[in-house]
Amino acid sequence: MSSYYDSAVIGAGPAGLAAASRMAELGLKVLVLDEQPRPGGQIYRNVENASPATLQLMGEDYRRGLDLIKRFNHSSAHYESNAMVWQTSSDGRICYSRNRKSREIKAGHIVVATGAMERPCPIPGWNLPGVMGAGAANNLAKEAGLTPSGRVVLAGSGPLLLLEASLLIEKGVEIAAILETTPKLPSPNTLVHLIPALRRTDFLAKGLKMVRTIKKSGILHHKAVTKLRAVGGDRLKRVEAVANGKTVAFEAELLLLHFGVIPSTHLFRLMGCTMEYNDRQRYWYPVCDSWGRTNHENVFATGDGSGVRGALAAEYKGELAALEIGHCCGIIPHYERDELASPIRAMLYSDNLPRPLVDEIYAPAAGAHFFEDETVLCRCENVTVGDVRKAVKEGVRNVNEVKIVTRCGMGPCQGRMCGPALAEIVAAEAKTEVEQVGLLTVRPPLKPIPLGEVAEMELELGSQEQADLFKNMRK
Amino acid sequence: MFKRDQHTDNENVAVILDGETTNLPGNMSVAASLLSEGRIVAKISPASKKPCSPHCLMGVCYECLMEIDGVKQQACMVEIQEGMVINRRLGTMEED
Repeated sequence: MSSYYDSAVIGAGPAGLAAASRMAELGLKVLVLDEQPRPGGQIYRNVENASPATLQLMGEDYRRGLDLIKRFNHSSAHYESNAMVWQTSSDGRICYSRNRKSREIKAGHIVVATGAMERPCPIPGWNLPGVMGAGAANNLAKEAGLTPSGRVVLAGSGPLLLLEASLLIEKGVEIAAILETTPKLPSPNTLVHLIPALRRTDFLAKGLKMVRTIKKSGILHHKAVTKLRAVGGDRLKRVEAVANGKTVAFEAELLLLHFGVIPSTHLFRLMGCTMEYNDRQRYWYPVCDSWGRTNHENVFATGDGSGVRGALAAEYKGELAALEIGHCCGIIPHYERDELASPIRAMLYSDNLPRPLVDEIYAPAAGAHFFEDETVLCRCENVTVGDVRKAVKEGVRNVNEVKIVTRCGMGPCQGRMCGPALAEIVAAEAKTEVEQVGLLTVRPPLKPIPLGEVAEMELELGSQEQADLFKNMRK
Repeated sequence: MFKRDQHTDNENVAVILDGETTNLPGNMSVAASLLSEGRIVAKISPASKKPCSPHCLMGVCYECLMEIDGVKQQACMVEIQEGMVINRRLGTMEED
């Protein structure tokens, strides 16, 4: 297997697949590193093997993945499944682990298409067995044909929460309640965004159908819920919340949480990409130009990882990055790049019309969440919200300092599950903005791997240089 | 907590789960396969000593970390295979 590629794509969701297909079609030598066993990312997970019943239930938005994967399979891009990237640098070096072996490759360009994840939100009891992300239930349905069998409560905020609710209703799952933390009435700002959204009646119709399915089912649906709490001993027994000024409680076997979607940014942070904070959606994203180029000339950010805009936008963003890379490799002149990009940009624009409306309706509010001192914030290291508050009271003002003092974010997930809430808590406690308290530093390996694997690596590429173990500690 | 849809016909594979030969549905991740059989506890947290179950099923949370064929791995990222040796190290904890 070769160890040099014109371009390496990390992730095989809509952005990665579109970028890789396009670059390969342009004649570039492309490698795709996918952590999953099959292409599709989360949105098109397992779509190639999906049963007709699953395809039917998930609809056109899922089936689209089939065309994308077909195009990808026809292209010359080389696909590595189960490839877990654990080190990347902006000079194009990538280390990844596959089948218990690690290897290093070098690429002229790196396209990061690692997508998004659900915003982890530490409500009391969220670490009890029986509490899961709504996205997890969706993944289980796609991957394994699993459906929740006991009483289910869905809680949180965002269109995907309602989408999951409507899917479960159609499957006949017993839902005890839907507890939305979204305000009853959207903010007046919403009106401004309604006008462009009206140009996409197809999109609005989809949303209305979803809401109608939920309404028709007669399932208890509370809005503006606060003080959400999962209760149980060794596993979930009950979900409690305050709705309309009263405490409500529901016996349940499964609680599905969803608080919107945020970009997965570990790879960008590892490579030292400049990050910016989206104050409205309360997440960090890499700064990039209209082609997806980050502050590093050869590193591109595409898909939801560069800002959450959904599966179609991800695909278009992937195409744009591919065209620019094709141009930089001398395959297409700039006028051809621009000509090919023009219809894609038009589709991207049209796709985005309703997005500000949806974003505004479901925008997370600062301090909206009920962070209780006893709640476990960092699952890996068992650090509570109270531990973090105590550190801040003692004068610590930056998330990395909190990490050193409390171990919050030091476990195997490397702060993926606690990082966003950690910043919210530190900022609230220090009476400052999330932007001011920093981002957890990311170091290799991005995911834990056995040390023996590193020792056994062939280091042809790096052999000219001396080992520099302290590279990441220098600024 | 989960049931398999009627239209799925994933053939079972035999694995050694916590020292006992166990038949589990194949063609899915180890985490999904265990969940489909009602085995919801994936590990005992080394930090809190409390049981954990998979939370994200997409490789983020590490709540499903277990020993698979001798190496600690995320059960949601590994496909279940015939003959696999899976150790959750639940100790004396009883599963429902």
